[in-house]
Amino acid sequence: MSRTTTAFTIGIKEQARNYVLVALLVVLPVSFITLAFAVTQDVEMPVRTLVDGETVTVMRGMPEVHGVIMTPITSALIAGLAGLFLMREAKDTDGRLAVAGYRARQVITARFGVLAAITLIVTGVSVGVMLVDFQPEHLWWFVAAMLVVSVTYGLIGMLVGAVFDRLAGMWLMLILPMLDIGLFQDPLFIQSEPEWWMKLLPGYWPVRVMVDTGLTTDVDTTLSLVWATGYLLLVAVLTIGVYYRITQEK
Amino acid sequence: MAGLPSMPTVEAIPIELGRLLGAIFGVAIIAGLMGLAQMISARAADRRLVQTGYPPRTLLATRLAALGGVTVVVAAVNYGVLWLTISPGAPVLTFVFLVLAGLVYAFLGALVGALLPRLFEGSLVVVFLAMMDAFLSGDSPLAADVPEFVEYFPLYHPKELLQEAMFQGTYTTGDLGFVAGYLLVLLVLVTAVFGVTMRTSGGWSA
Repeated sequence: MSRTTTAFTIGIKEQARNYVLVALLVVLPVSFITLAFAVTQDVEMPVRTLVDGETVTVMRGMPEVHGVIMTPITSALIAGLAGLFLMREAKDTDGRLAVAGYRARQVITARFGVLAAITLIVTGVSVGVMLVDFQPEHLWWFVAAMLVVSVTYGLIGMLVGAVFDRLAGMWLMLILPMLDIGLFQDPLFIQSEPEWWMKLLPGYWPVRVMVDTGLTTDVDTTLSLVWATGYLLLVAVLTIGVYYRITQEK
Repeated sequence: MAGLPSMPTVEAIPIELGRLLGAIFGVAIIAGLMGLAQMISARAADRRLVQTGYPPRTLLATRLAALGGVTVVVAAVNYGVLWLTISPGAPVLTFVFLVLAGLVYAFLGALVGALLPRLFEGSLVVVFLAMMDAFLSGDSPLAADVPEFVEYFPLYHPKELLQEAMFQGTYTTGDLGFVAGYLLVLLVLVTAVFGVTMRTSGGWSA
């Protein structure tokens, strides 16, 4: 077994023993997503989205819109906390791996591999729970945007973990996705052109894709997914740099 | 919630309701976390004070007084923010009902602290509890089709009282009685839990 595989396997076992993360994974999707579909008033709501390349307002059921928004919130929240936990653990231990002979890229691959694996599981569970109540018009586009936003928030969780301790970091990672996706990107709340600073938030491009591919029959947000992926790559480069620096300090 | 637009198909008044829910949620979450922190620090320190001769009753009274004081301050801040955007029909009643909502969550936080005496895990429980409670009890269009047992949630009746005091300047005695009963039950539970936590004979201190 290679060193990277060993570090990856240990990292996965470590996270599987993190009962806070496991409890969130079990409780949150049902209590956020299923509940959103179950209790939202069944009325039609205006939703701004792209249709044939133009921003138009279409009428959609409020439970569907609410459910489409709660799914990425759930996923981003859990992935963000996972990233936070990973970075806190990395700060404590990964410097020692370097002393034991690990190369930086082996540790980085293992740690980011763990984050990717957790994000895949979180996204899978969130989308799976959503599918019980709602079928997006273009499932795989929707899943792609979900993955991008979840990984982005996982990496942001790592960045937060580099600066703040577990408690302060948890507060930040609870608030960030709620405000970003649940308020500033939610078409139920923002019914006109978003402010410029809302477009800089991590949820802007992926949620555009999710609203489009979840609620309309045509895919008009290919470019938005490209922008979302670019945003993700930028955050990834920043996180790798911060991670490298932090573990080197030990 | 305050960002909710006017919805012609929805009967409630989303913006004002959103502000009201924000205020009650803000009070509940901060008071709940204070209750949690109080109980955790009580576990860490007060047992030693009992061993040095402090009566547990005095310690509990000071803890509850501190909790009550902080809740009043938190309610005052939230009331002030609310007052900037809405003129309450009955200002004093509105403030008192915000305090009551805070006290309910302060006691709940203390109970969570007794069962889960770790700040990280405990605060997660308090946050999600308050979040789900405010969401389901909120009578908002996003949580309109809720089951009847939501009436027994901690924030349901305080929210009813607050809503009535804010928009009509009155209150319903039944709601007030329910909140008073809720507080009494929680107070008894907190006292019992505190008593168990302070027990020093026959075992090691935590």
